[in-house]
Amino acid sequence: MLDFLQTLSDGVLFGATYALIGIGFTLVFGVMHKINMAYAAASIGGAYAGLLVLKALATAPAWMVFLGAFLAGGVLGWVVYAACFHFIPLSSPLAPLMSTVGMLLLIDEVIVHLTAGMPQNYPAMFDDVMLRAGAFTLRGDLLLVFGVSLLCMIGLLALLYRTRLGLATRAVSQQAVAAQLCGIRVARVNALTFVITGLLGGVAGAMIGASVGTLSPLITMPLTVKGLIVTVIGGLGSIPGAIIAGLLVGGLENVFQLYRGVTERDLYVMLLLFAFLVFRPGGLFSRT
Amino acid sequence: MKKIAVAIAVALAAGSAYAQEKTLKIAGFGAKSGVVRSFGINSEAALTAAADVINKQGGVKLADGSSAKLVVEFYDDRCSAEEGISVIRRIYGTDAVVAVGPTCSNVAEPLFGILQKKVEDKGDSGLQMPVFTDVAIKVGLARISEWAFRNVPNEMTMYSSLFYWLKTRYPNTQNVYGGVEEDFAHSRASWYAVMKDRAEANGYKVVGNSKWLVNDSNFATQVREMKNANADIVAISAHPFTTCGVLKEMQRQGVKPKVLVGLTSSSSLETLQGCAKQAEGMIIPTSFAPVTKEGKAAAETTARFKGAADLHSMAAWENMFILKQVMESEKISGDKNQLPADRRKIRDGLAKLKQTQGLLGVTKRTEDREADKPYLFVQAKGGNWVVLHNPL
Repeated sequence: MLDFLQTLSDGVLFGATYALIGIGFTLVFGVMHKINMAYAAASIGGAYAGLLVLKALATAPAWMVFLGAFLAGGVLGWVVYAACFHFIPLSSPLAPLMSTVGMLLLIDEVIVHLTAGMPQNYPAMFDDVMLRAGAFTLRGDLLLVFGVSLLCMIGLLALLYRTRLGLATRAVSQQAVAAQLCGIRVARVNALTFVITGLLGGVAGAMIGASVGTLSPLITMPLTVKGLIVTVIGGLGSIPGAIIAGLLVGGLENVFQLYRGVTERDLYVMLLLFAFLVFRPGGLFSRT
Repeated sequence: MKKIAVAIAVALAAGSAYAQEKTLKIAGFGAKSGVVRSFGINSEAALTAAADVINKQGGVKLADGSSAKLVVEFYDDRCSAEEGISVIRRIYGTDAVVAVGPTCSNVAEPLFGILQKKVEDKGDSGLQMPVFTDVAIKVGLARISEWAFRNVPNEMTMYSSLFYWLKTRYPNTQNVYGGVEEDFAHSRASWYAVMKDRAEANGYKVVGNSKWLVNDSNFATQVREMKNANADIVAISAHPFTTCGVLKEMQRQGVKPKVLVGLTSSSSLETLQGCAKQAEGMIIPTSFAPVTKEGKAAAETTARFKGAADLHSMAAWENMFILKQVMESEKISGDKNQLPADRRKIRDGLAKLKQTQGLLGVTKRTEDREADKPYLFVQAKGGNWVVLHNPL
């Protein structure tokens, strides 16, 4: 029982990073009804860019690296928007999909070329802290990741529901033409959505780097897949759905691994996805 | 005016002589993109550096007594089997006399499969191209084709020696726990067929193993299993990214085995770049460390060509000198019209070798075209790999 609880709690805490990635996918989908396949790669790209802080100042504390990742994530978000959406005919659903797949590969390859594919040590905070209750433990750094992720989600929800930008974003997501007729600059809202999701992605990338302790371009593809699974299970366009689904996938993934082994783990996660697609295609929090 | 005309004539004559200078193309190939890109970069640098040294010493002597300079052309196979096969077919279509590569065992295995199996088999239409592997290390691959040769360390010998040494050096160690990257050909083979087997053969009890995948990022469950096993020795058969992830998780969970053993390929800069602090004390058997005069010189020359010296890139370096020796002893023509014959001579010359001179000493060649290279044990210390023990 202890093993089960420990495995589940580790997975749920790590699932916070999936939730952050899932939110990025779902927010863009909610606003533009398009999938940004480059999101996880841009997030990891932001995390890598955060390491430039350490290049400039070797003794920089971890939070400065995270801040660097946050800002770089925002810049990359805008770059992805400009390159893959702004000048692409959005009427064809395949065009932005393919352009973002291309961007995913491009970001990946740029990282590989700049680092020669070598894993990079990533700073963490509270990585030496372990909360204990008997044999049950909780990792301090994962709790930080969980806490930061929660703060980001709360911040994002506040932005969406308490600001004019959020109102405009929601208006565009519900009816872009009507929003435009009301004077909302749709292209600007779209660009800002990418910047906001990029900022969030930078945090997600940094949190993933911090929780693993190492960054490698190897993780962009699995993160993309996890982000998409979380988005579908949570319900396309639903932020609370992405949060719950991220934690759920993280927890269940670990439990599957405990009972069925690492080679079968992803099989069950995929089965879970298919189960949702068949029995609840709208996801946990369907907006329809 | 007359002087200018003479100068022009001399320049033209020199240019013409330069244009006629014979060259021998060596095709290098390996991963120069993707996450194992550093292997390809280092191999290319070592091949080019070695070619530069050979050329400065006069190049390769040909059958007619003239000399030819070595030219290295490197191809990227992206560590993909399909790309690798396509690359070797392209190399076959060029005037390269021999190919050196690939990086990945999952490329080497199918690639050797499209070479002619037996040289005298007229019915076999497989490629007749000598391939001299520097990096791909999975046990026993050269036996696939008589055109395949390898200069990679023998993991069986190295880990056998390592566990034997550990048994004498740490007599109170009784059991071993493994950690394996389950979906990577080399890591998997190295644990199940080499480390586990050699540990048991040397009197250790293998008390279990944890598995993870090459692009995993959460190792909490696996390390908990490792912690529960409480083994004296933990042997990790994985590449640097997951090795570092696991080592960091071991540190968090307070897993401190008496001895930590790593995979041969991890005795590189990558591991230290990712987790030098957590890798402190890790012991790895390797076929290269810059401990000899030749080794130091090779490492320095390769560094000038922007490559790092490790067991893989230095195998590429050694291959160039072995090939020079073979091309000269087999008296290849260097004539493009005699290309198939030259390739065959190189193959036969490589097959004849009983031993070669390596950077650590003499390498024995085996009947199945593999190498039995000298090796030593290195340990991660203060952000560097330092020689811990030289068993030879």
